[in-house]
Amino acid sequence: MNFRLREVSVCADREFEMIKITDQVRSYVAECGIANGIVYVITEHTTTGITVNESLPCVEKDLMGVLDRLAPEDYPYFHNHYLPSYGTIGGNTPGHIKSLLTGNHCVFPVVDGKIKLGAAADIYFCEYDGIKNRKYMIYVMGE
Amino acid sequence: MVIDTHVRPALYGPICADKGVFEKRCREMNYHLMSPAPIELLKKQYALADISHVFLLPEDCSAETLTPSISNEDIFSLTALDPELFWGFASVDPRKETAAAQLRRAFTEYGLVGLYLNTARLHMFPDDERLTPLYELCRELDKPIVFQAGFCLETNALAKFCRPMDFEPVVNRYPTVNMCLAHVGWPWVQETAALLLKYPNLYTNTALMSFDGPGQLYRKVFLEDMGELWVEHNIADQVMFGSDSPRIRPVRSKRGLDSLNFSRETLEKIYYRNALRFLKKEG
Repeated sequence: MNFRLREVSVCADREFEMIKITDQVRSYVAECGIANGIVYVITEHTTTGITVNESLPCVEKDLMGVLDRLAPEDYPYFHNHYLPSYGTIGGNTPGHIKSLLTGNHCVFPVVDGKIKLGAAADIYFCEYDGIKNRKYMIYVMGE
Repeated sequence: MVIDTHVRPALYGPICADKGVFEKRCREMNYHLMSPAPIELLKKQYALADISHVFLLPEDCSAETLTPSISNEDIFSLTALDPELFWGFASVDPRKETAAAQLRRAFTEYGLVGLYLNTARLHMFPDDERLTPLYELCRELDKPIVFQAGFCLETNALAKFCRPMDFEPVVNRYPTVNMCLAHVGWPWVQETAALLLKYPNLYTNTALMSFDGPGQLYRKVFLEDMGELWVEHNIADQVMFGSDSPRIRPVRSKRGLDSLNFSRETLEKIYYRNALRFLKKEG
């Protein structure tokens, strides 16, 4: 069994944004030298998510809209207070909730050196607390 | 357009290269578990909030801390990176004999636009005689002053030296010098409001991150601690937007202020017109 890991930097242009990362994952799987196995895509952060969906602007708007309704900005969250451990206001509970709902990773088979994706499937890094410099991991395991 | 009148550049990447200096600064200013941010990232964050100009506020209590937490040289180096975006203020420690000379140099050689003083950290009242040469220099060179006012979250800062009413003798003595009591002097909000009512050379800003999120806190301060029409009817020309970054990201602070439903005219004043007048640029 071989293991290959790449950390990828990403920075949104908006506060809340779905960023398509399919090509980056596909490229790394192709170049990492593993023919058959599994690839994981994992975010390193707690106010972001990794998900798979169809890459249509209308779908992206609907997904983000539903998350906004589930976790509105103006709700009186417990986390909206001064955090002595940071010296800052913890104002990003909606991001934490959306991260929970989205999940922190996705997984796909690697077959003959290629990621096996459904026809409509794209991989997204979801920013829910931007704008920040972020990282996600592509971790490939196999032979 | 938005002018952010209250940013402490403690986490600005270009002045955080030395890890020891960075950690000392964070201890003194009470910022923790945060990393330095590159300028390009900060610019994206400012653009997100429509911010086109930023007051960079230093911190010099070097009679106590040996070196300034954020020096005039730090501020000058940052403003040089983007003079249009960054408007730098100067700070000196009046407990040092060289303070007035240092301040003159910061104004005349570095081109810094005003003075920032934190009397809570300096442990001196605003009318302390050691501050008089600095006030006189600001009058001579027509430079505004931003005062830390009210409660201060920084290490070894005592709010008794920052009560708004204790600034009145200074505001009264220098009617041609624009002065800002930052943070609405929280928690002494009504003292600040009273002073604003009387002194046209006095301003405040919305850098208020203490309790709650920005929407809740702004409602408490501007619609409950103050009468709900005080800003609109009395002091709309003297309130400036300030985010208090890095205690909060500016876009969140601005979203909180937007939620108060002030009139468009008042929001324009808060977001940029008053800051331009404070600096005697226009407005």
